[in-house]
Amino acid sequence: MGHQRRHQYRHSAGEHPRGCAMTAAGVTWLHRNLFAKPFDIALSLITIPLLAWVLYSLADWVFLVARWDVLFDSLRVLMIGIYPVDQLWRTWFAVAVLATLFGLGLGLCMRPMAASLITLAILSGAIGVAVEPVFGAFQAALTVGCGWLGLAACLVASRSAKAKRFALPIMLVALVALYLVLAPPGLESWGGLLLSVLLTLAASVLTLPLGILLAFGRQSRIASVRVLSTGYIEIMRSIPLILVVYWIWVVVPLLAPDATVPSFLRGLAGFTLFFAAYVAEYFRSGLQALPPGQVEAARSLGMSTWSVNVDIVLPQALRVVVPSLVGQILDIFNGATLVFIIGLTDFLRAGQMILADPQNSSRIYEIYVFLFAVYFTIGATITYASRRLEAFLARGSR
Amino acid sequence: MEMTEARFVSVSQRRLVRVRRGLIQTLIVGLVVVLVAWLCLSVRSALAAKGIQFSFGYLWTAANLSLSEGWTVAFDGLRPVVEPFSSSDTNAEALVAGLSNSLKVAIAAIVFSTVFGTLVGIGRLSGNWLVRNLSFGLVECVRNTPLLIQIVFWYFAVVLKFPPANAASHWLGSLIASQAGVFLPGLTVVDDAQPIAWLLVIGAAASLLAAFLLRRRAAGLWLCVASVIAVVASVWLGFPVSVDLPVSTRFGATGGIALTPEFTAILLAIVVNSSAYVAEIVRGAIDAMPRGQWEAASALGLSRSSTLRDIILPQVFRVVLPSLGNRYISLTKDTSLGIAIGYPDLFNVYGTVSNQTGRNLEGVLIVILTYLILSWAISAGINIVIRRVNTLGGAR
Repeated sequence: MGHQRRHQYRHSAGEHPRGCAMTAAGVTWLHRNLFAKPFDIALSLITIPLLAWVLYSLADWVFLVARWDVLFDSLRVLMIGIYPVDQLWRTWFAVAVLATLFGLGLGLCMRPMAASLITLAILSGAIGVAVEPVFGAFQAALTVGCGWLGLAACLVASRSAKAKRFALPIMLVALVALYLVLAPPGLESWGGLLLSVLLTLAASVLTLPLGILLAFGRQSRIASVRVLSTGYIEIMRSIPLILVVYWIWVVVPLLAPDATVPSFLRGLAGFTLFFAAYVAEYFRSGLQALPPGQVEAARSLGMSTWSVNVDIVLPQALRVVVPSLVGQILDIFNGATLVFIIGLTDFLRAGQMILADPQNSSRIYEIYVFLFAVYFTIGATITYASRRLEAFLARGSR
Repeated sequence: MEMTEARFVSVSQRRLVRVRRGLIQTLIVGLVVVLVAWLCLSVRSALAAKGIQFSFGYLWTAANLSLSEGWTVAFDGLRPVVEPFSSSDTNAEALVAGLSNSLKVAIAAIVFSTVFGTLVGIGRLSGNWLVRNLSFGLVECVRNTPLLIQIVFWYFAVVLKFPPANAASHWLGSLIASQAGVFLPGLTVVDDAQPIAWLLVIGAAASLLAAFLLRRRAAGLWLCVASVIAVVASVWLGFPVSVDLPVSTRFGATGGIALTPEFTAILLAIVVNSSAYVAEIVRGAIDAMPRGQWEAASALGLSRSSTLRDIILPQVFRVVLPSLGNRYISLTKDTSLGIAIGYPDLFNVYGTVSNQTGRNLEGVLIVILTYLILSWAISAGINIVIRRVNTLGGAR
């Protein structure tokens, strides 16, 4: 944001002759942005060759050296792990639901311009074409269909204000549907990117109520509640996530010796208990951002504490913390790589297992570059959404 | 709020409220006590069914495990001795060695990520389009991908792909990088140094520390001069510390500072990762400085770089301290991911020890307590610096 502002400033300050030739404009741009001062010239002279060399070696590797066939051979393991082959239709259902959710989310947090829609459409088509030689025409058509479903959801969400109101119920229904359809082959068979996404979605939803309770608990007038909530939040925030996940995985069989709780649920419990403390802290900042007059006014109208919290405080606090909560989804998604500690095969672990096969051990860079690219695409989308939301909410409050 | 409420309600109503609150308190405390008691009892009965009793006695039995690195503290009578961990040491000493490894990564990463992060943060505001966007790209790449894949990548795809030890590459004459690890020039103690030279060096260090801690500038200047004189004198007498260059051998190198591949990888990963976050903190703080400061400085004829160095950064330093403290705490927690590449940090050693002894519950209490103490120590340290910086500002 900062450099954009300065960028505009610089442009408005400098004279900008209209209608000058393209090359002249280019030279001016170069002079202004790369060679303005001796120090800038030195920096540019160091970075340009370096960048050129990196880009050249990268392009050389991507197009000439790397052999991407390993990806096509192992794509299914990367995406869904060891999910039984005869149950694959269930995962296609999951992809459709996820595409809808993704589209809804995207539509809610930004006004989709024609350009971004066309990009998404082309992207889904491209993925379909890429998938076709490996999985056949049927799956390729399904992929494109899912992409278009997401686009439709995106459009619906952006055109109607009602979609906002229904976002949370739709999310919950979608999650329950996902669980019902994907669970029959056993939670143990969830893996790959599917596992990472499911864990992220479930943990993001489950942390909310617990986190909100903890945030209110920390501000409660009842001393014991306050001390307990504060202690919980502080302890959880001081220890590493991997420790929480591992330890809950160890303790659950001791608590319920007769039941066999799937590792996924134990991991989910760890993520929920851990990230709830962070949600609580976000909410606390949201609660503190509220002018105290609001609560006082509501009290003086004779509203009950419950009603004040649910009808006055919570909706306003939510508005403030939504960007941070969206940002936290990224933290949970990135944290989902840690479930290797309890023996689950998430996206990263699936990649490592493919590399453990001696046949593929020389393809280390191909696999890692693909993993990085997928993580980065998802992460950058979430970051972008959270930024857009922040800008949108800031505009609304002015 | 309480006062106004109290004025309008009758005495009996007030008593009712008080009784209700007391009841709620008791109820909540009771609930939590029952819950915790139920948890403890069922865990205990489950352990009893396996024939295990809750006790910390296992800490003093031999660990029978080997760690690739790690220092531990043994007691020679009452005198503490720092020594490398050996497999005959106790479980407690193994945990200490794990902690020393975690701290080693954390401290080095705090220093390096602060420096690099500040540089990248300034780079993100550079007037140079290329530098600005490269810094932005670096920060985005790091912040949008999981730390674990970064650690794994640095280890398997970078450090383990260094040339083998017998064909190790030498940079700048003395830095050796091979699959056996990275070797840097280090400092060693000269054996037959004169005690007076030692005294002078220690005196110089002490006076430098005093110069930093003392608030009076004149006294600080004199202390600096004194420390320079002491150093010169000790050099003349035979400096007790010398530079130790690594020499490569067939299986690695000897001498200098040896960094294991695991340590190198996790340090690189955490430094790069944390630098991106530090860069964002620094950039945000520089952005938050009022534009008037830049304009005033430029009206006074100060250049961009000297405005940044002399006016903006000193203020930024004060603003970023709390966020920086949080970052240091997260960074320390992040060292627990060393387990993914077999680095023997505290969490890794805890896992091994509790697997061997079945002492998960006892072990986790120790580890949680250790991380709590580390977090509190970092935030207390940052608070001390904040207080000191603020009093400095007030005195000016």
